[in-house]
Amino acid sequence: MGVVIANIIAIYRRELQSYFVSPLAYAIAGVFWLLSGLFLVLILIGPEGILPKVAELDVQGQQLGIPVPPIDVPYEFIRAFLDRMGWLLLFVLPILSMGLYAEERKRGTLELLATSPITNWAVAVGKLLGVLTFFTTLLLPMLVFEAIALSGATPPMSPQIFLVAHLALILLAAAILSLGMFISSLTESTILSAVLTFAVILFLLFIDLIAKGIGGSVGEAIGYFSLLKHYNTFLQGIFDTSSLVLFASYIILGIFLTAQSIDALRFQRH
Amino acid sequence: MIWYLKSVEQMIEVEHLSKMYGSTPAITDVTFNVEQGEILGLLGSNGAGKTTTMRILAGYLPATNGTARIANLDVHEDSLSVRQKIGYLPETPPLYPEMTVEGFLFFVARIKGVPAGDRKTKVTAAMERCNLLDKRHVIIRKLSKGYRQRVGIAQAIVHDPPAIILDEPTVGLDPRQIIEVRNLIKSLAGTHTIILSTHILPEVSMTCNRVAIINKGKVVATSTPENLITQVTGGSGYILEIEGDVNLAKQVLQNIPGVGLVESIPSVGMRVGGACLRVISQTGEEPGANIASALMRTGFNLYEMRRVNATLEDVFLQLTTTEEHLEPEVQQEAKEEEN
Repeated sequence: MGVVIANIIAIYRRELQSYFVSPLAYAIAGVFWLLSGLFLVLILIGPEGILPKVAELDVQGQQLGIPVPPIDVPYEFIRAFLDRMGWLLLFVLPILSMGLYAEERKRGTLELLATSPITNWAVAVGKLLGVLTFFTTLLLPMLVFEAIALSGATPPMSPQIFLVAHLALILLAAAILSLGMFISSLTESTILSAVLTFAVILFLLFIDLIAKGIGGSVGEAIGYFSLLKHYNTFLQGIFDTSSLVLFASYIILGIFLTAQSIDALRFQRH
Repeated sequence: MIWYLKSVEQMIEVEHLSKMYGSTPAITDVTFNVEQGEILGLLGSNGAGKTTTMRILAGYLPATNGTARIANLDVHEDSLSVRQKIGYLPETPPLYPEMTVEGFLFFVARIKGVPAGDRKTKVTAAMERCNLLDKRHVIIRKLSKGYRQRVGIAQAIVHDPPAIILDEPTVGLDPRQIIEVRNLIKSLAGTHTIILSTHILPEVSMTCNRVAIINKGKVVATSTPENLITQVTGGSGYILEIEGDVNLAKQVLQNIPGVGLVESIPSVGMRVGGACLRVISQTGEEPGANIASALMRTGFNLYEMRRVNATLEDVFLQLTTTEEHLEPEVQQEAKEEEN
C-alpha cells in the first residue's frame, strides 16, 4: 500500500510541476480569473446585479408602504455566482483534461509508465488529483473575492452553505475531469479529446432536460444522472448523500474506464 | 544467494514466443537466452519483429504464445516485479520535454521504486555514466537529439536494473555520438544484462557478445558474431570478375575442393559479357590458386580476383535472403553452439 501511495504521489507531483511550466496553464488561469472576476462584479453591482435590485425593491416597498419580504442577499449572491461558475467549467475543464493522457500517448511516455512497476489506476488517480489541485488553485482568488464581498453582509453568510456550495463546485469539476481523463486516454489528439469531452459534459449537464421530455419513471431515472441537477441541489445548501454518491460514481467510473482503456491499448495493433 | 551455485545464470529466457496482430504474425516461435552480464544483439531489418520482441520482454505487450522470463520471473504473470528489474528504452525515448534532466530522472527513480534515500546517489550515478552532469538543470526540450538519447538511456539505468532492454539505442545519432553510446553500453555489461536491437550490422560486431538474427518474425540464427561468420559464410572468400558463361563458371568453381558457396553478385562498370562472382571458401581452406588455374584451363578470361573477408553483413544477407536453403543447418549449428 505504501508503494502505491508513493507511486500516486510521484505521478501527482509530476503532473503539478508540468502546470507550472506550461504556457497553456497560465493562459487558462488568466482567462478563468478574468471571466470569473467579471461574473462576480456583474452579479454583485452590475445593472442587473443583486445589490441594485434589492435597493430598488426596498425603495419600491417604502414608497408603497408595504413591508418588503427580507432577501438573503449573501445566499442569493453565492448561488448566482456559483451557477455561472458551473457554466464556465464547461469550457475550462475540457482544456484542462485534454492532455492528461493524449500528451503521454503522443510523446511515447505512456510506454515508460506502462513498463514501470506502477499500476494503471495509480497513474490515473495521481493524474486526476494533480489536475484537480490545479483547478482548486484557480478557485482560490475567487474565494478571497467572495470573502471580501460577504464580509460586510448582514445577516452574515452561513459558513455551512458557503462550504457545501464550494465543495459542490469541486466535486462537479472532479466528476467532469475524471470523464475527461478517460476521453483523453482514447486518443493521441488533444483537440479531439477536448471536443469530445465538451460534448459529453454538455450532454450530462442537459440530460435532465431530455429526461423531462421523456417523462415517467424512465425519465426520472435518466434525470438522476444529470450533473447540473445535483450541483444545484448542493448550491441550495442541501447536503444530499445521493448527490454525493452520484458525483463519486462519476469520478470512480472515470478512473476505472481510464485504467481499462490504457490496458486495452496493449492489445491493439501497433 | 543461490546464483553463485551455478556457473552461468540465464538472465533472460525466451521460449517459443509468438505474437499475432489480428491474423498477422509479428513474431513466430522466437527462442533465445541471454546469460547474466552478456550483451545480446537482436539484428534484423525494419519490421522483422525486433520491437515486438522487446515490447513483450518489457511487459508492454502480452505474447500470444510462449513464455518470456527475466531473472526467473514470468514477464506476464509477475509483471510488476519484472518491471522493477528491467530498464527499457523504447524506439523513441520517453521524455517529458518540460522537465529538467535531473527532475525527469528523479521522477523515473520514484516510479521505478528506488527508495527515497538512494535516489540522489542513483540519479547522479546515471547522469555521470551517460555524461549528462553538465546538462542536469537543462530543460529536456532544449537538448539535442544525442543528449535526448542519452537521457533515454539514463532513465533505463537509473534504478540499476539487472536487465536492460534497448530498442535501437543509436538510431539518429551522429557518428561520434554513436561511438559514445556504444562505449556506454559496453561499460554497462558485466554488472547488467543487456539486450539491444539494431539494423546496423557493424554495431553488433562492435558491442555484442552474441547476436540473434531475426527475419520475418523468426530467429534464424543465434551465436557469437565470429562463429556466425565462420559457420554461415565459411569465413572468407574471393570476388572474381570473369568473361564467359556464368553458369558454366559456377559449375567449374563448385567442383574445386575447398569451395563452399558460389554466387553471382552485381557489379558496376562491367564489360559486356562479363560477370561478377563471389566464391566463399570452406573453413580453413585456401582454394585461390586452384580457382585461378581452373578458370584458365576452362577458357574463361579472368579480369579480377580479389580476396575478401566475410563480414556479418554477408551472414545477414545470406540468412535473410536464402533463408529456406540455410535455415535448418544454421539453426542446428546455433543450437549446438548453445549446448
